[in-house]
Amino acid sequence: MTVQTLPARYRVASRAAETHDTVTLGLDPVDQPIGPHLPGQFTMLYAFGVGEVPISISGSAGPGLVQTIRSVGAVTRALCEVDPGQVIGVRGPYGTDWGVADATGHDLVVVAGGIGLAPLRGAVLAALTAREMYRRIVVLIGARSPDELVFATELESWREGGAEILVTVDRATAGWTGHVGVVTQLIGRAQLDPAAALVLVCGPEVMMRLTARALCEHGVPPGNIRVSLERNMRCGIAECGHCQLGPLLLCRDGPVVSYARAAPLLSVREL
Amino acid sequence: MNAVAASALAGHAFLRGMPPSDVALLAGAAVAVEVPAGHRLFDEGEPAANCWLLTAGQVALDLPVPGRPNLIVETLGGGDVIGFSWLSPPHEWQFGAQVLEPATAFELDGPAVQVLCEHHPGLGYQLAMRMLAAAVRRLQATRIRLLDLYGPPGGGDAG
Repeated sequence: MTVQTLPARYRVASRAAETHDTVTLGLDPVDQPIGPHLPGQFTMLYAFGVGEVPISISGSAGPGLVQTIRSVGAVTRALCEVDPGQVIGVRGPYGTDWGVADATGHDLVVVAGGIGLAPLRGAVLAALTAREMYRRIVVLIGARSPDELVFATELESWREGGAEILVTVDRATAGWTGHVGVVTQLIGRAQLDPAAALVLVCGPEVMMRLTARALCEHGVPPGNIRVSLERNMRCGIAECGHCQLGPLLLCRDGPVVSYARAAPLLSVREL
Repeated sequence: MNAVAASALAGHAFLRGMPPSDVALLAGAAVAVEVPAGHRLFDEGEPAANCWLLTAGQVALDLPVPGRPNLIVETLGGGDVIGFSWLSPPHEWQFGAQVLEPATAFELDGPAVQVLCEHHPGLGYQLAMRMLAAAVRRLQATRIRLLDLYGPPGGGDAG
């Protein structure tokens, strides 16, 4: 197998602001595109002259990519500030995927916190395109406030496509009519069938840990819960070791990992 | 309002596992209610005498702020319990509660339940442990919200 270690050039075809610090880029290949990808995998995005960061793939647009980026440092800030027409570098796709088809005949449940919905967007869209393969598609979303919901304009079309969507925020603003509270409280409201649910969880690590714990309390086996872990991915091909988490190199063995495997690692200090 | 069959009351998540004899006692102090959207169950500062075991719908706990819409503290739904203030002095609601989506609930008469508990310590123990567990869950959820879970790790500069 050939692994791609040189960035391919992609032109920014579109740039949409999701929140005050998060944008979604539509990227079209300038030359040969990167290989096919699956929901949950990530790419290394290169802001020329600034640096490279791992970003989960949010979806496809023909041969192009859709990637959602939150500005949290120098590189992501540079990527968030690109204008349509500019060119950036893309390596990948790397890592494990959500394995959405494993929920065939069962319930697919997605739990997202904040920008954690970005890596899950592809999984939701993939499931909706084969809606008849699943019993229920349940999407539980938690955000700081209504202003910080990503893909807010898409949620209605997901509902129309057959997904059940519950959204909760930590702080309601005027006009908000949805839930107020933490995302773990939505688990009880969704009335899940714990024996027949594959649950995909993505968000900050503490949120994923607490969510997975709540799911287990509701009877979901740890092996039916998948989380997306992030460490300091650099090479993307399991050579440099920067993204090591115990026995895992997350750029190869992750980012998507079964909670049964991840749980013992997430409680070890300094790992 | 309708009288409540003990079997119906026993199906509520809050009472799951309670001895049938205790549920039967409690049923005598409960009525089934349907509450339309927009109705306020109670307001901050009013005497607190009741408790609701929500079976469906959505209710917001809120706090009035002069000149602004009420601040929503938390929303509650089927399976949740609404109302802790009737249990302890000063027996006044600390927040308000407004029905957001049509709700159904078992409404418990607080003073009647307290009299029952004094005469039946077993029921009192069962109820106290359940109220404690519900309060702990709410406390934990509040603590998690204080963590600002969805913010960038370490406040930023991650890449």
